Amino acid sequence: MYSQLFVEMESFQFTKTGQAACGDDIQIKVLKDENRYLAVLSDGLGSGVKAHVLANMTTTMALRYLQSNMDTLQSVETIMDSLPVCEVRKISYSTFSMIDLRLGGITRIVEMGNPPYIQLRGDREVPPLKHETIVSNHWPDRQVECYELKMEPGDRLIVCSDGVTQSGLGEGPQYRFGWRRSGEMAYAQEKIAANPEISSYALARSIAYQAYRISRNTCKDDISCMVIYMRKPRVMRLLTGPPFHKDHDNEFARRADLGEAHTIVCGGTTANILERVTGRKVEIDIAKLQLSDNLPPPGRLPEVAMVTEGILTLTRVYQALENNEPADKLPTAGRKIIEMMMQHDKIEFIVGTKVNEAHQDPSLPQDLELRRGIIRRISAALNQKFRKETEITFF
Amino acid sequence: MKKMQLEICCGTTCYMLGANRLLNIENEMPSDLRGKTDVRALPCMGLCNEKELAGAPYVKLNGHVIENATAEKIYAKMRELLEA
Repeated sequence: MYSQLFVEMESFQFTKTGQAACGDDIQIKVLKDENRYLAVLSDGLGSGVKAHVLANMTTTMALRYLQSNMDTLQSVETIMDSLPVCEVRKISYSTFSMIDLRLGGITRIVEMGNPPYIQLRGDREVPPLKHETIVSNHWPDRQVECYELKMEPGDRLIVCSDGVTQSGLGEGPQYRFGWRRSGEMAYAQEKIAANPEISSYALARSIAYQAYRISRNTCKDDISCMVIYMRKPRVMRLLTGPPFHKDHDNEFARRADLGEAHTIVCGGTTANILERVTGRKVEIDIAKLQLSDNLPPPGRLPEVAMVTEGILTLTRVYQALENNEPADKLPTAGRKIIEMMMQHDKIEFIVGTKVNEAHQDPSLPQDLELRRGIIRRISAALNQKFRKETEITFF
Repeated sequence: MKKMQLEICCGTTCYMLGANRLLNIENEMPSDLRGKTDVRALPCMGLCNEKELAGAPYVKLNGHVIENATAEKIYAKMRELLEA
């Protein structure tokens, strides 16, 4: 059951008003082979660049120690011993939450100084299986909270910096002690009740924004919120390129059966194969075409989200993914492909490998890559940069 | 009078070799030809590998293939069909 699940880990941050860098840091690592999902959120002492350096050192070290299964107390002490000492306050300080989620197993959370995590099953809070507080001999005034919990499909973990729980501090009687964990949790529960499928990113963003609003649209501290959501993966399929053997056309076209919201077809010949097999026609709306697009216009085919041209569009998509370009700056076809990829967790590429000889004509004004190569690179970028699961099937 | 059907290939090769400049042709036609065509874009006509044809971009006007298509060639063919 657990092997089919997807763990969506996303975060949203606001930097303290007036500072150039965020003093909180979040790092995430997926160890696919071990079915482990690691995340660290750290809040460095103070704010700005110095705090960011402390937070970043903490997340980097903590992530390594988590990965190598180092003893908790030893990890925490090493982190504290290694941080540079603040000249102003004469202490080395960062607070942090370390999460080691194991699919189907026990999830461990270690917190030092950060607001306690929240685990929600639907909109109901779930208490940990085990909780103990340990104290370091090196740092007797610092307490380390260790939790063990079980994440079930559909569960969410919410972890934040104190910029969230202390937002609104002093803003009237309601916030005498700030928003607090209870306020944050009630808000998250309300959001989930209204939209049970809300994505990690949307929830993290919504919580961070609420903390910002409570503070009267300023940030008195850095605000960071991370949401981890364990759920069934959303799968999309991208079909591109005619199969190498024509007899495989029917089988290839049958793969476009994932439903309209989850299927994209990239390539003119590919579209023709689908037209032939399904008996439906592609409609391209050139009335809405923007000439500045520099990409061929997308078309519509029933039961498919969109039909686009192949190589040029896919090359543009690859460039945007690789260079972290915002999708809304892209021509329609590219923008929609990227938006769909971001809305899904697993992207299956169904790739026909027949080479169009006309694309190899040296008189073309631009080099055209082979489809196989460009899809492999898109797949790698999605995998490494966006933690998407990908699968390529060649035809 | 029945409108002429103008189909523009938007496959990769055609698009790169000039079909992109033809997509707005309806708005750029000389006044005597304006309003006499239905312009459609097609995903790919599959003509780019036909060795006996002269080259992309390809358009079809009422089913007649125009090779190395330009706006002028399309206008000329339209006039020819109008006169016929």
